[in-house]
Parts: sequence; structure tokens; C-alpha cells
Amino acid sequence: MTPALVCERLVKRYGDKTVVDRVGFHIDEGEAYGLLGPNGAGKTTTISMLVGLLRPDEGSVRVGGIDVDEDPVAAKRLIGYVPQEIALYPELTARENLRYFGRLHGLPRRELASRIGEVLDLVGLSGRGDDKVGTYSGGMKRRTNIAVALLHRPRLLILDEPTVGVDPQSRVAILDRVEALVGEGMSLLYTSHYMEEVERVCTRVGIIDQGRVVADGSKRELVAELGGTDRVELTLDGDVTAAAEKLRTVEGVSEAVVTGSSSIRLLVAGGRHLLPALLSAVGDTGAVTGVEVVEPDLEAAFLHLTGSTLRD
Amino acid sequence: MRPRPVTALVLANLKRQLRDKVGMFFIVVMPFVTIVFVGMALGGDAADAKLPVAVVADTSDPVSAAVVAELESDKALDVRRAQSAEEVRDDVRQGDLAAGLIVTPGDTSLELVMTQTSGSGMAARSAVDVAVGRVAAVLEATRAARAAGASPQQADSYVSKAKEESVAVTVASSGGDEPSRPTGFAYTAPANLLLFTFVNSMAVAAALVESRRIGMVRRSLAAPVRRGQVLLGEALSRFAVALAQSLLIIVASRVLFDVRWGDPLGVGVVVALFCLIATGAAMLVGALVRSPQQAPAIGPPVGIVLGMLGGCLWPREVAGETLSTIGYLFPHSWAMDALLTLSRPSTGLGSVLVEAGVLAGMAVVVLGVALVVFQRRALVAV
Repeated sequence: MTPALVCERLVKRYGDKTVVDRVGFHIDEGEAYGLLGPNGAGKTTTISMLVGLLRPDEGSVRVGGIDVDEDPVAAKRLIGYVPQEIALYPELTARENLRYFGRLHGLPRRELASRIGEVLDLVGLSGRGDDKVGTYSGGMKRRTNIAVALLHRPRLLILDEPTVGVDPQSRVAILDRVEALVGEGMSLLYTSHYMEEVERVCTRVGIIDQGRVVADGSKRELVAELGGTDRVELTLDGDVTAAAEKLRTVEGVSEAVVTGSSSIRLLVAGGRHLLPALLSAVGDTGAVTGVEVVEPDLEAAFLHLTGSTLRD
Repeated sequence: MRPRPVTALVLANLKRQLRDKVGMFFIVVMPFVTIVFVGMALGGDAADAKLPVAVVADTSDPVSAAVVAELESDKALDVRRAQSAEEVRDDVRQGDLAAGLIVTPGDTSLELVMTQTSGSGMAARSAVDVAVGRVAAVLEATRAARAAGASPQQADSYVSKAKEESVAVTVASSGGDEPSRPTGFAYTAPANLLLFTFVNSMAVAAALVESRRIGMVRRSLAAPVRRGQVLLGEALSRFAVALAQSLLIIVASRVLFDVRWGDPLGVGVVVALFCLIATGAAMLVGALVRSPQQAPAIGPPVGIVLGMLGGCLWPREVAGETLSTIGYLFPHSWAMDALLTLSRPSTGLGSVLVEAGVLAGMAVVVLGVALVVFQRRALVAV
């Protein structure tokens, strides 16, 4: 079967700066793929090239076998794109916004009317469809943002940070809906700052850092790259920067990243056995108030691969 | 090119515009408030209202009597007799008179009393200039006939005959008894059409900036449409608003104030060209400014200054020759000249070909630059 998305050696440069450097991955039909990376890693630029908003300097993108550069209109018909921002007219109702995008997609009038009803129902807004979007809560806007992308029954759904700024309840509702769509066979590209969302929704993950895909595989494959490495979360009262400096000198510590005013995240080979050495290394830089050793997970894999936490 | 995405964009933008209460106030209500108030200041409440002019003159003096007779023959003027120069000055100052003329027997210079900022005063001045010029021409012709050896009776006879022929020629060439310059609503309606169409076009550019800011332009481009369709849809939205406002002013001023706009084809062409220029200006503002608040902060002041230079706030003569000449660098002056010309009888598109040509050239340049800038700045993602 033709993959839902294939991108090969994508390159985008702005002047001397290469913001996307030979990025390549594919998404099989019905597969959910997560693209993880810190801010400025090149995720949004990559997505802009995938949806035909930006022309790559090198490389190619095929959606459902159609080259985006050769036939952008046909390729874009197969994509449902949910941007990071709430791209809706606040002065119009949800129904009017959906009608606008449905017309852009060329949906026939009768089909459009029934599809608007369906997607509003799908995102739980059928009772508020005639209210102006400007009067909605953040969560309702996010759900409408997603509804727009589902209107034309896309083959590939691209969600760029779809839960930014929403309350926990709405986040759960959005994730439930996305999971259900994947369960129905829709292909998905999902980017998020929230590791747990990607872990929950996606079967395969690509990690992008400084414009390059540094790892690509299933969660299990990525975690396996850590070997016997554990993640250690350490909290202390004192100078965390100085403490992190000292912790990096301990043998077996591969990463020590300050994650807050009193917290440090470490990647440690055989974490539990090394705890006495870690506590000793902190020494007079502060008083340790908490230690947590976490089994290898995607968060640890990300730290291992990029040297930074996802929200850096 | 499929038209549906373009109409979808235009419909969505028009709906947004209709829901903007402040914007609709400036598009629908404000122009008429201005037309009424400025129209009354510029010569009364009817398109054919006469300009009140007072004259202080001793009519036993033949020259003074001739000037008064000439003024009274002008159907655009309501000529009154005043007892003293002071009375005239007071009435002009208070706005009861458009202008006053003080004729001193035996003195070759006449004193015209008017306020420099009064449009009706400027209009009256034109009529007084014409009347005085005619009397001066008669005197000069009589003097020339006498110098050529004619007797006083013969000289009077020759000049009377020449004057009759001159009047006949004048009547034929002017095409009727209309005043030489439209006054009142006949002036303020086209002036405010141009002023508000341009100012509001610049102000509604805020919606365009907002579309860019919230990512609507970007998301629309991610739909299966071409860039040209989005560009055309955005431009047509602005053009439709400008054209709708112009049509509203034309129809309402015709119905409410009996403003005669003239040849529909000529007016349609001039207004459409001006709306294209306003659309270009709106697209340019929409592409260049960063926040929706900047568009109404920048656009209207620029539109008002151009309106001042173009004679939309007061007749251009008031601003003086230099500013009037500068005004021709901008579309308002050309469109104003064209609309005032078309408001006169027996005129049509052929009478304003130069103005229409200049406006067409400006439309091509402004719209062309705007579309290129908009495409480069607003339609490029990330």
C-alpha cells in the first residue's frame, strides 16, 4: 500500500542558516507518527514543507504517492492540517468557519452541510456551532481547530501542538478523539511538547533536534538505545547550576540538565547503584530534598539523544 | 482557476465586515453625517442653492450699476444690497453671506470680502470674478471703440452688439444655467465618497492584518487552493467593501439630497478605478503593518491628508496653488476633478478621459505593488 507520507532529505535554508537539514521519515497508512523536538528544532518548518506552505530547497515530499511540489493542490486534498495557532475567524460562528474551509476544499453544498454537522458532533460542539468562535473557551477553540481539518475526511491528519494552552479536561477529550481517529484507520503526524501525549497516541516517534532527525523508531526501539540507563530526577535547595556541573563529573552520568530552580534531570548508567556517588557529588552546593529513579522511557531517550529536555 | 475558493474568501470577509459594528458605523453612518454638515457649510441644503452675496454700490455710477447687473444675472448668486462695508464684513464673518463686494465709485479696484476657509466664499469669488471681468471687458471695448473714432452712441451700440453675441456664445458653450462650480451637497457628496472610501479601505486593512496574525491566511493556503486564489479573494474582499460604500453614498445622496452625479458610465468608471486604488492601498497596509491596531492608526490619517490635498475636505483653491499642485500627485484630486466635471450637464466619460487615464495608471501601479508585496510578505509561510 502507498505510504500516507514520505519525505526524503528535506532541506530548508534561510541565508546561511540551515533550519531543516536532510530530514526524512515516512508514515504508513493508518500509522500514528510523533515528531518530537525542542523549540526551534525545525518541526514547524518541516510541517510547512509537508503541507505545501513552504517549498524545500532540497528533497521531496509525497502525500499518498503525490509529489507536493508537482501537484500541490491534489496533495493538499489528502491532508487535514491543524496548525499550532487557533486559525479561525473569531467573528464567525464555528459553523461559518467550517463552511468557509469546506468551500476551500471544494465540498459540494449538500455534503458540506452534513459534514459540518458530523464534525461538530465529533468534537462535541454540536450545541454551540452557531455561536461565534470568539466567545469560546480555549478548549472549544482547539476542538473547532481540529474539526476544520477533519471536514473533508483527510487521508493524513497533521496535528501541530494541538493541545497547547488547553485545560486538562479538554486535553483528555482531544486525545480521546485523536486516538479514536487513528483507531478508525486515519494516518497521523503529531507534534507536541508533551511527551506523554506522543507516548499515548503514536506508535512510532521521530526525534528532531537542530533541524535533523536524530532518531526514528518505535518507543521501545528508542528506549532500547539507552541500554541500562536510568533517568534520575533530583531536587535540592542550593545552587542547581553548580550541582549539575559537579554531577557531570561522576562516572556513569551521561547527562545532567537543570530543569527548574531546584531540580536536575540526570541520565545515569545503573542509576540506583550510583545514588551514593551522586549525593556525594552534590556536596556543599545544596541540600538534596528528593531523589526519584525512573525506568528508561521516551523522556530519557529524548534527553539522551538531544542533550536537552523537551521543554527547553 | 476554480472560483469557489475566491467567493468563499470574499463571503467570509464580507460577513466579518458586517459584524464589525464600529467599522460599519464609519462605512454607513459617518459619511452621511459629514455630507450633511459640510454640505450645509459649503452652500446650503440643496444642490441648486444660491450663494448669498451682498453688494455695497452706488448704482447711479454706471460702472457700479453694470457690476451689480452682471452679478444679478448670475443664477448661482442671491445678490442683496447692503448699506455699508461694515455691515457686509459682519455678515460674512457670521456666515450669513458667502461673500460681499464693495464698489467705490471712481475707484478701479473693488473690495471682495470673504473668509479664506469658506468653500461657498470661494465659489462666490469665482462668480464675482466673472461678473467683474465682463464689466471690465465692456469698459475696455468701449474705450477701444472711442479711440478708434466712434462716437459715444456708436461705441455703446458696438459693445452692446458684441456683448449680446458674447452672451450667446457663453450660453451655448456652458450648456445651460448651471452654476460653474457645484456647491453644497453636490460638492460634499463626491468629496466624502472619495474621502471615506479611501479612509475606510485603509481601516479595514486591520482585518487583513488580523487574518495574517491568527494564521488564517496560512491555513487557507494549506487547503487545496492556489496562492493566486487567496490573493484574489483578499483583494476582491477589499474592493467589494469600497465599491459597496461608494454605491451607498451615490444612491443615498441622490435620493436624500438630490445630488446629480451625472453620466452613470463615467461615474462608474471613475469610482471603480478609485476603489481599485483604495484596494491597493489597503492590501499594502495589510501586508506591511504587524498588528491589527496599526492599520487604523496609520491608514485613516494618511487617507485624511490625501483627502485634504485632493479637495475632499474643502475646495482645493482654499489650500493655495502649491498644495493644490501637490494634490495632483495623489488619486483624490484626479477623482474629484472627474466627479465634479461629470456632475455638470452634457458631460460623460469622454469629458474625463485624462482623469480616468491617470487614475487607471495609479490603480495599476498601487495595486501591482501591493499584490507583489502582499504575496512576498503575507503569503510566505514561516
